[in-house]
Amino acid sequence: MTTTTSSKVRESRGKSATRHGIAPYLFAAPALFLYVAFIIIPIVYTMWLSLHAYRIEGGGSILGNRVLTWVGLENFASVLTSSSYLTGLKHLAIYGIIAVPSMLGLALLFALLLDTPGVRARPFSRAAIFIPYAVPGIVAALLWGFMYLPSTSPISYVTEALGLGPVPFLDDPGIYGALANIAVWGGVGFNMIIIYTSLRSIPNDILESARLDGATEIQLALRIKIPLVIPALVLTGFFALIGTLQLYNEPATLTTMTNVVGQTWAPLMTIYRDAFLTDNLPLAAAASLTLALATVAASAIVLQIANLRRRRQR
Amino acid sequence: MRVLAPVAIGLATALVAAGCSSSGTDGTTTPSDGDASGEVVNLEFWSWPVGTDKIVEDFNATHPNIQVNLTDAGGGDDSAAKLLTAVRSGEAPDVSTVEYTTLPSLVIAGAVADISPYAGDIQDAFTEGTWAQTTFDGVTYAVPQDVGPAAMIYNSAALQEYGAEVPVTWQDYREAAQTVREANSDAYIGAFPPSELGFWASVSAQAGSQWWAYEDGAWSINIGDDASQEVADFFQGMYEDDLISVEGLLTAEYNSKLNSNEMLSWPSALWATGVIQGVAEDSQFGNWRMTNFPQWNAGDKAVPYQGGSSLVVTSTSEHPEAAMEFISWFNASEEGANDVLTMTGSYPASVVGQELSTSQEVSPLVEGQDDYYDLAAEIASDTVPVSWGPNVAYAKTVLDEELSAAIVNGTSWADAFVATGDAVRKDLVEQGYDVAE
Repeated sequence: MTTTTSSKVRESRGKSATRHGIAPYLFAAPALFLYVAFIIIPIVYTMWLSLHAYRIEGGGSILGNRVLTWVGLENFASVLTSSSYLTGLKHLAIYGIIAVPSMLGLALLFALLLDTPGVRARPFSRAAIFIPYAVPGIVAALLWGFMYLPSTSPISYVTEALGLGPVPFLDDPGIYGALANIAVWGGVGFNMIIIYTSLRSIPNDILESARLDGATEIQLALRIKIPLVIPALVLTGFFALIGTLQLYNEPATLTTMTNVVGQTWAPLMTIYRDAFLTDNLPLAAAASLTLALATVAASAIVLQIANLRRRRQR
Repeated sequence: MRVLAPVAIGLATALVAAGCSSSGTDGTTTPSDGDASGEVVNLEFWSWPVGTDKIVEDFNATHPNIQVNLTDAGGGDDSAAKLLTAVRSGEAPDVSTVEYTTLPSLVIAGAVADISPYAGDIQDAFTEGTWAQTTFDGVTYAVPQDVGPAAMIYNSAALQEYGAEVPVTWQDYREAAQTVREANSDAYIGAFPPSELGFWASVSAQAGSQWWAYEDGAWSINIGDDASQEVADFFQGMYEDDLISVEGLLTAEYNSKLNSNEMLSWPSALWATGVIQGVAEDSQFGNWRMTNFPQWNAGDKAVPYQGGSSLVVTSTSEHPEAAMEFISWFNASEEGANDVLTMTGSYPASVVGQELSTSQEVSPLVEGQDDYYDLAAEIASDTVPVSWGPNVAYAKTVLDEELSAAIVNGTSWADAFVATGDAVRKDLVEQGYDVAE
């Protein structure tokens, strides 16, 4: 009896094993196909393109014909020595030092404030802080651009009326703060939600017992809440870092409003120029790959540091 | 900072959808051209000057077997890039407007068709100098549409009010700038931003510096030569004395200043009338006048070209003959030239167009200037040729970068020109051209 049942079971398990054998692959196939078609193949093509360049075949004529010729790593050498790209990285560094801590700091602060017991108008505040995230990036950049332009800025209007002259938002070095402000204004809401959610998941007993022991809200925040939301902070910091390296929207919109932001202020703007304005796709391909690798490297470093902290804490 | 993955997937899906829906822009599939077989040929046409839609309507009404569909492709720096990307992806129009400055780079990228076989009939409609702008090494790639001999459009009413005299030389311009600043501390006589390569090349050509020159099989780059450096020093001097502005042209801020009598002149070319008319409010109409481009030396008459556009047949077009018929009508026929004059406000390149212009009514912007077209004809008759090389777009971005940095850091503009010249020369060498030292 048992043998027949067990063999039946084994049979059915065998059949279902083969049935299940194909199904997972079929389910995964569309996603896999899209992944290969839209991510893997373009990346491979980009790599291939970055090893070539447009050269004129046969000199001596006034215009000639451009053909794609193999140049090896020449494009990468150009990128790494190009003043445009290096200056762009410098701009990003300064921008990042201002924008990332501000954004995370404010997000953390707002999340902690919202989490305080007895706070009024919580849903309204949450919505109000989150709404800037819903504004499309270009619209936000234009909006702030006009707030910065001396002739349309309400802030400069006030300072000029007071006799202090316009606020130099769009001059060096105010431009870094100005750009950071746009990103912070738009991003604080989103990051705040992430941190707030993490805060809400802290078990109440810890907080209760701390309060019973006489801890003030500030001590609670500093000693208990913040250490417990470090993973959320790492996550938001991670996104903020990637966003900084890929900064494009805000400077590209402000470039028509000030001479300080040229066409190559951020690396991604230079890539756009090389790809589309000066028709040097291979160089842009090489630069994109370099930027992507730099992003991956930076992210890996951040994650390593976060992991170290966690391992050390255990 | 946005979350990347959902955006990327959404974008990918959107791209797939867009790719599927926009393939096959050309309606008819017959390779032959309409007039022979009686079937209607549909042409896709990219252009941007104001009023082009009315011209296309006129053509469609009088040519039932060729119907043209106009898309406003938006002018500016991106126009050539858009066309090139479209050609590479197979979505290009049949005919497109291309400015003279970007024509060489489109030729070497293989985006425009060789129209020499069709061009024989209409070559006579243009002067030699005009035709030379679209012919390289004996091969014709485009048909000139309008020309931009340098001229200056200025707010005559405001200049009079501030007590400034209409400048004849650049030195006069400097003095007029001074008068304007003293009369109204918010007003500037003009803006000269680093992004306007067309202007800097043109004003240097007038000083004797051909930025791109081709001789004996080699290109020579003269950006940053002595004449250019003198030009740079002159304008830097004006900027440092707070006599001119360096803000971008035709931005929202610039336009509002123009309409408040705080931006008083634009040394550019004959097409400026049409452009300013597009941004000026009614209160400005009748206040503006056109005059000669300021000269470096008193008594000189010749002016360089600045800008101007042509029409090309793209290399991927399946109806080159129908396209050429449209282009010939547009640029070289009497009806077409008349339309270009009256509807776009630019100065036609064709001889018949220029002759017609003398009996034309002027644009409302310069209402009251009855000798406008006589002056235009006179300006167009004495020109310094300007040739454009294969890497104009690159030069534009380098000059913008170098000159902006010089302005922001207070360093020498002449050095910025020299650095630009070096970069442009290096780029040509890298691409494989023979470049003279």
